[in-house]
Amino acid sequence: MSDMSVGWQSEDVALRWPWLVVALIALVVVLLVWWGVVRGGRPPAGAAYVAHATRLRSLPRYQALVQQRRVIGVLVSIAALVTAAGAIVLAGRVQERQTLEQNDRTRDIMLCLDASGSMAEVDADVLREFRTIVDGLQGERIGLTIWSGVAITIFPLTDDYDYVVDQLAEAEAAFASGDVHSDDYALYTAGTVIDWDVQSQLGDGLASCVQRFDRRDEDRSRAIVLASDNEPLGEGIFTVEEAAEFAADEEVVVHGIAAPLTADRPRAEQQFAEAMSTTGGSFSLLGEDGSAAAVVEAIGELEAVEIDRPPLAQVLDRPTAGTLLAGLGLAGLVLVWIAEAILAFRGRRRTP
Amino acid sequence: MTAHLTRIKTRLSIHAHRKVRGLLEGDYAAIHVGRGMDFNDLRSYVRGDDVKDIDWKASARARQLLVKRYVAERKHTVLLCVSTGRSMAAMNDAAVDKRDLAVFVSGVMGLLAVQHGDPVGLVHGNSLDQHSQPAKSGELHLERLLGVVHGAIGPGSPAGDLPALLRYVVRTVRRQTILVVVTDDTSLSEDTVDLMRRLSVQHEVLFLTIGDLDPTLPSVADRRLVDVDAGVEIPRWLRRDAPLSREYAELVASEDLQLRRRLDQVGVVHERVADTDGAITAIHRLLERHRHARRR
Repeated sequence: MSDMSVGWQSEDVALRWPWLVVALIALVVVLLVWWGVVRGGRPPAGAAYVAHATRLRSLPRYQALVQQRRVIGVLVSIAALVTAAGAIVLAGRVQERQTLEQNDRTRDIMLCLDASGSMAEVDADVLREFRTIVDGLQGERIGLTIWSGVAITIFPLTDDYDYVVDQLAEAEAAFASGDVHSDDYALYTAGTVIDWDVQSQLGDGLASCVQRFDRRDEDRSRAIVLASDNEPLGEGIFTVEEAAEFAADEEVVVHGIAAPLTADRPRAEQQFAEAMSTTGGSFSLLGEDGSAAAVVEAIGELEAVEIDRPPLAQVLDRPTAGTLLAGLGLAGLVLVWIAEAILAFRGRRRTP
Repeated sequence: MTAHLTRIKTRLSIHAHRKVRGLLEGDYAAIHVGRGMDFNDLRSYVRGDDVKDIDWKASARARQLLVKRYVAERKHTVLLCVSTGRSMAAMNDAAVDKRDLAVFVSGVMGLLAVQHGDPVGLVHGNSLDQHSQPAKSGELHLERLLGVVHGAIGPGSPAGDLPALLRYVVRTVRRQTILVVVTDDTSLSEDTVDLMRRLSVQHEVLFLTIGDLDPTLPSVADRRLVDVDAGVEIPRWLRRDAPLSREYAELVASEDLQLRRRLDQVGVVHERVADTDGAITAIHRLLERHRHARRR
């Protein structure tokens, strides 16, 4: 999950306290009505009477002043109402509810490559195929383990696809150099052989890869893409059958890709294929039908278990609209007041 | 019963006005057209007395100017005609109600008549109805009339209607009177002018108008003002405007001029009463002008 915000989906925008909005609107309405009744009603007590004020009202200056006042009044009212609306919206706390769907495809795929010299080209092919499909993945975790006599983890299961692509490219470059004796290859596979008499142990390699799966408590689909020629040298800890049993016990599907040369040794091929079928995986020879692609296809068909995790939810305050509204209203009020002050100053008596 | 007359007398007898008081008596005496020929007594001359009445011989003897007083052939009725619409309940200036001012000028005119032994009557009304009080002598009666005027004026009264009131006078008053019209109209309709013309034939008409408060005055800038006719407030922010104040003053001046012209055309003497202090001077001027107008 490199970018959190992309995954968050806006569900709805609602008010935290809608009753407060209703109450405040009611209050504003009540105040307006009260003002209308009180101020529009009887004349104020303690006022002095003046007669023949019609003459005053008929003056053009009076009309102009009233018109001016009316415009100012309307503007002030609008600005005040906008401010009040903004304040009410703010008081109601607009909140956005975001959810993060967690029903990602929950597949773990471990690339389990035989790092013995004879397998370099095959590994490069598998890696190339894999690199192309990483882009289309979502939620799957990929890991890479290489082994010969001993298994080492190049990178553990991760869904950081940028990193995965980088690593796959690096691995591909190392394997594709073609020269088993090159520095790149030696450095990359360093540590896979600690005893030159024990190499290319398919059983040990597979068992190690099965052990690389973490989150055992979660219900995830687990698969291993196992590339090998099943040409062990020396005695390993696990036999191929035992390792396949172990994988089956751990409910790990193993898809086997055998090097083309394996076909020359039918017994080895047979053993390899049987082991794969024990785990429910496929087996194919590279080169005869583009098996790397077939494996990728098989992985695609692998059941993606939808785990029963509730979506993550977060609630965020969205005060922008309210603040903007209130700010606009206040700015309007200030502007109108300034204009009013200027007009009043102009009409002021020169000598009071 | 508030003692309107007491207050008016107090004001009249304030030292500064003592001269004026005598002056008014002279003025009032002189407005009688039908003075009788029976000599009554002599009294000292006061400004405003008709020069024709001076008894030169007696004056020479007494080393002071004396005027002859005659027993009037018949009593002259002073009819106070007060427009008691709700606009009279408004302010005259920052300190005084128009109502008080109307009562004051009515009282001064009435007092002059009462002191002269003449009966005083009252006609008052608004657009809805008009009432009349019979003419009687005596301060008590005058006091009652002033109370009636005072009571008839209120912010809740109907609007004033001078033509209706004048028509009522035309309809109900048969004899000749000294008709003192106290109103606050700012302009006169054609109707009113016709009625005035008609009344001035029958009566000695004296026309007194009471002014209105200028709402744009700085002295009332802090007070809340309500239009008595419309019942709505005249907003404070509006009254502070200098151009409005100017325009209003111009309008009032032009309307005043218009009113004077129209009354001049009809030949009715008139005076605007600005405030209580100016009221006595205004009445003096009114009486003086009336005498001159009659001589013409």
